[in-house]
Amino acid sequence: MTDTQFSLPSPPFDSISKVQYSPTNPNQLLVSSWDTTVKLYDVGDEASGSKTSEQKCKFDHRAAIQRSATWISGPKKTNIVGSHSDAVSSLVYSKELNALISGSWDRTIRLFDPRTPTPEQSSYETPERIYHIDLVNNTLVVAMASRLFHIYDIRNMQEPKQRRESSLKYMTRSLACMVNGEGYATASVEGRIAVEYFDPSPEAQEKKYAFKCHRQTIDGVDHVWPVNALAFHPIFNTFASAGSDGTVSVWDHKIKKRLRQYSKFNNPVSSIAFNCDGTKLAIATCYTWDEGEQGARTERERPQVWVKTVGAEVKPKDWQA
Amino acid sequence: MAKKKNKQVIRPWCWYCEREFEDEKVLMQHQKAKHFKCSMCPRRLNTAGGLAVHIQQVHKLEPDNLPRIENALPGRDGYEVEIFGMEGIPAPDVADYKRRKEIELGLAAGSISQPPAKRPKTENRPMSEDELKAALAAHKALMGGANDNSSAAATEQGAVYGAPPQAYAAPPAPPAMPIPPPGMMPPPFFPPGMAPGQPPFPPFPGMPGFPGPPPPGMQLPPGFPPPGMMPPPGAFPPPPGMMFPPGAPGPPPNMPPPPTFVRQQQGSSASPPPPMNAVSPNGLATSPPPPSMSVTPTPTHASTLEQSQPQPSEPTLPNNAPKQTNPPFKKPTELKYQDANFSPAKVRAFCSKYRFKVASDPTASQNDESRGKKRARAEDFL
Repeated sequence: MTDTQFSLPSPPFDSISKVQYSPTNPNQLLVSSWDTTVKLYDVGDEASGSKTSEQKCKFDHRAAIQRSATWISGPKKTNIVGSHSDAVSSLVYSKELNALISGSWDRTIRLFDPRTPTPEQSSYETPERIYHIDLVNNTLVVAMASRLFHIYDIRNMQEPKQRRESSLKYMTRSLACMVNGEGYATASVEGRIAVEYFDPSPEAQEKKYAFKCHRQTIDGVDHVWPVNALAFHPIFNTFASAGSDGTVSVWDHKIKKRLRQYSKFNNPVSSIAFNCDGTKLAIATCYTWDEGEQGARTERERPQVWVKTVGAEVKPKDWQA
Repeated sequence: MAKKKNKQVIRPWCWYCEREFEDEKVLMQHQKAKHFKCSMCPRRLNTAGGLAVHIQQVHKLEPDNLPRIENALPGRDGYEVEIFGMEGIPAPDVADYKRRKEIELGLAAGSISQPPAKRPKTENRPMSEDELKAALAAHKALMGGANDNSSAAATEQGAVYGAPPQAYAAPPAPPAMPIPPPGMMPPPFFPPGMAPGQPPFPPFPGMPGFPGPPPPGMQLPPGFPPPGMMPPPGAFPPPPGMMFPPGAPGPPPNMPPPPTFVRQQQGSSASPPPPMNAVSPNGLATSPPPPSMSVTPTPTHASTLEQSQPQPSEPTLPNNAPKQTNPPFKKPTELKYQDANFSPAKVRAFCSKYRFKVASDPTASQNDESRGKKRARAEDFL
């Protein structure tokens, strides 16, 4: 199969913190960056030539953007919804509650209703800085520092439904929930991904496992890169992982097999996202601060957003549609 | 895949058709299938020479009228060059290919085609006095910067939270004039001739103005504040780095410093220390080193902290947060991201370039300014 991928014009100037597709429009892509902008692209199909990708609009913010939210209805007007006392590390939008949920390094989860004049609805303390949150149906998974995980039911946020410690021994670097709501995948800075299930019964918990990835043995030394992003395919429930080694792999977690590894990018991959119909994969490549400030000074390719048209490689072998 | 960085840029490629491959194995398979395949039988050979011999011997063709190599670029379809994977490619062709690749990738000329510059030769001879002085000055300037780091980390266990903004809010110091690190004595207290921001280790013997080389961790002339002592609250205002930013949740008590040091700290803040210039009655235990020496009693502490917190403005663990350590590896491993406590984004957010402070924080104004400039530049670009 020929790789059909192209990079978006006028990418952000600084590293891309997150790419995210619209939950309803398969062509709208939101790109947030450390250069304080969030850009909305209309990703056309360059191969057909009918429509080209263009940057639709740009939001400037006063501080570097950690995470962009699943957006609500489109860019109409910007209003400050609420605030945390430290950086907001991740945002999700719940269709069920019509609420924006944010997790922050200030160790709180807050719920906002963007439609009301006083958007902040509630705030909940967590024991550690929140690195990632992800939501599927009514289940909210919160990944925190110190490798802690809390699983909440968003209809009852007072108490976490489950408290877990990561099965990975290193810092949690990414998190994504299965689209079928059965579980989630999480990855650490030490090139390893764990697949876990919500169901606390022993049978379900027995199915959880972890595996190594995004590493390479060079001269007998194992080089291990962080896994920066995970994304589940909205239809096939396979998932893609992206690492600082510049590769993106597609996995079938049911049969525990890698379906595909895409050819390597010259920069680390910071974020990936499938669009809502699962035909495209957006890949952000840029420096991910693994080597601190020194690393930022070395010459490398500028940040880019690639859009790859995915085919049968993301489909499980035994898929019956 | 490739072992050298150099090779990661240039992937294995086929001399005959200039196609790129993931690795040499695939390249060889390609060459066997596309270029070294006998046109008269299904046989595939490993090299052009092998193919020539095969055709001559099996198909009894004269060496003169061998068929050209299939699928090759014009001029590269002969049997003269013995190619095996990446081996045997004529040097001019390699150079030419790399040059074109550089242009295609938009890299600087020579970044692929030339080997990285050799390290400049260092002369191995005794330095003259002038050179020594220059080197010392450079070192001081350097350590002044580093000092921010270690002394801030080491001396202000109670106030690390406030340190980062200060460290970055400070205007960029001219290279030769290090800024006094937060948590150190303010400059007026330094004995004449001693640069503010001296390194937190034993000073160099014979440093100008320094009253004799004291043995590490030990006792110094009177007239200096006691070791590990913060300026007494009433004596003079603490440096800005010592203050908590308005919204900050107080000092993180759970930093894991050596207990002795903490006790010193707490003691000093609980009971006002003796006046700065008074000779301590306790003799040895508190006999005062010069301000810059205040961290020498805990050199190991400073260095461990430095390892875990490589930058002057470092994220700190919040209250009650246990410190994480990476478990050891079973086999030789190079972990690309080693910090067990702070995510790359967190560390990055502490970089001056990305710092953002609420307007109410007085230390932020400087940052806002530099940020403003940066954004202006970014917009010019657009």
